[in-house]
Amino acid sequence: MSFPVRKSVFVGLAGMSLIGTVAGCAPSAQAPAAQSTAASTSGAPIASTGASTSAASGYKDGTYSADGNYVSPNGTETVGVELTLSGGTVSDVNITQHPSNPNTRKFQGEFAGGIKAQIVGKKLDELNVSKVAGSSLTSGGFNQAVEKIKSEAQ
Amino acid sequence: MPHPGWAAVSFEGIGTAWEISTPGPLDTGQRRRLLDVVEDYDAAWSRFRTDSLVAQAAREAGRYQMPDGAGALGRLYRSLYRLSAGAMTPLIGGSLEQLGYDADYSLRSRGTPLPAPPWDDVLDWQDTVLTTTAPVVLDVGAAGKGQLADLLAAELRSQGVSEHFIDASGDLLNSGPAPVAVGLEHPYDPGRAIGTISLGAGALCASAANRRAWGDGLHHVLDGTTGTPVRTVIATWALAGTAMTADALATALFFVSGKALEQDFEFSWLTVFSDGSAAYSAGFEGVLFE
Repeated sequence: MSFPVRKSVFVGLAGMSLIGTVAGCAPSAQAPAAQSTAASTSGAPIASTGASTSAASGYKDGTYSADGNYVSPNGTETVGVELTLSGGTVSDVNITQHPSNPNTRKFQGEFAGGIKAQIVGKKLDELNVSKVAGSSLTSGGFNQAVEKIKSEAQ
Repeated sequence: MPHPGWAAVSFEGIGTAWEISTPGPLDTGQRRRLLDVVEDYDAAWSRFRTDSLVAQAAREAGRYQMPDGAGALGRLYRSLYRLSAGAMTPLIGGSLEQLGYDADYSLRSRGTPLPAPPWDDVLDWQDTVLTTTAPVVLDVGAAGKGQLADLLAAELRSQGVSEHFIDASGDLLNSGPAPVAVGLEHPYDPGRAIGTISLGAGALCASAANRRAWGDGLHHVLDGTTGTPVRTVIATWALAGTAMTADALATALFFVSGKALEQDFEFSWLTVFSDGSAAYSAGFEGVLFE
């Protein structure tokens, strides 16, 4: 069975893909800085992209947010994304949960084991770990291609 | 370095960075035999080189004798293909190419998403022999990195290096017995972790939709029934006895709930959703930061 809830959030990778993240919230990110505009786009991902249409530069520091609506088998879902830009990079990303989607909560409550409402990040250099399990260290041609596209987009 | 004083050897293989740590340094011959294992795997399975067996299968239908280990890989894929109702499939290569994740890394979509062909229409995978009825673009990326980690561990054991730690760019295999403290990378910020776990003997593999991501909301985890990227799950971790299994299950968690997978696999899992919430099995209890 596939997940009945299909979310359309695609925030990108803070620190690396400024293009993806900023353009991802283009409806409000293009508004003046520090606004909290809720731009709803029915059925569309909040993140569309940017690689070929937007340059990474030109966005002012501030906090930007956008909501996205989409139709899932559970009905219309809403999810919010808030980005903080400082010095041309994404310094913070928050995913906003909307209380208006009880079906989503109910669905997630059916998982085995524990549930956590919101993950919390801590800086790696403040942690006593010797290894990191994740997938950001992927190297080789893929990352080079992404860099190329970013440079072409500018 | 997993433990103070250990030695490490780093190299590039199958398109990613590897670091193998051992209590003492490996000599030149040992390192060469490890790289031979990588080369053999790449020569069989890479769809990013024209001389691989997979590249041949992409050009023409036929009977392909794959290396040892292909049987286990095929059975694992077949099991997850069934559990995910076709969403997770080794035939996803053509769908990835269609969206631009091709051998040239064009990262330019060629048009509308292309569903993967149904397995039984084009592929008969019997142990190490693949028989195809049409050109197919195989992509074993969901389990291949893990399987190569297992093969490298086997090579190390055959060299008498029973203690080792293999880091395949964030997919980890610990021989044990000493546990290693591991941070779970934040899906939106590689400078942060969302929790820490003590990894004993076994493998911890991760998958995230926002890595290997390119434009237009496209990322590399595709639903084989539609050829479009999966959007509900943003990051997953799987803890299992072998890296191949952990790697494959980390991807499977994008399509199938951990609870459902538990019925067929003995493993622990953690799934983070695109709204920032998380669900996990008992093995990840107390791991996430409060």
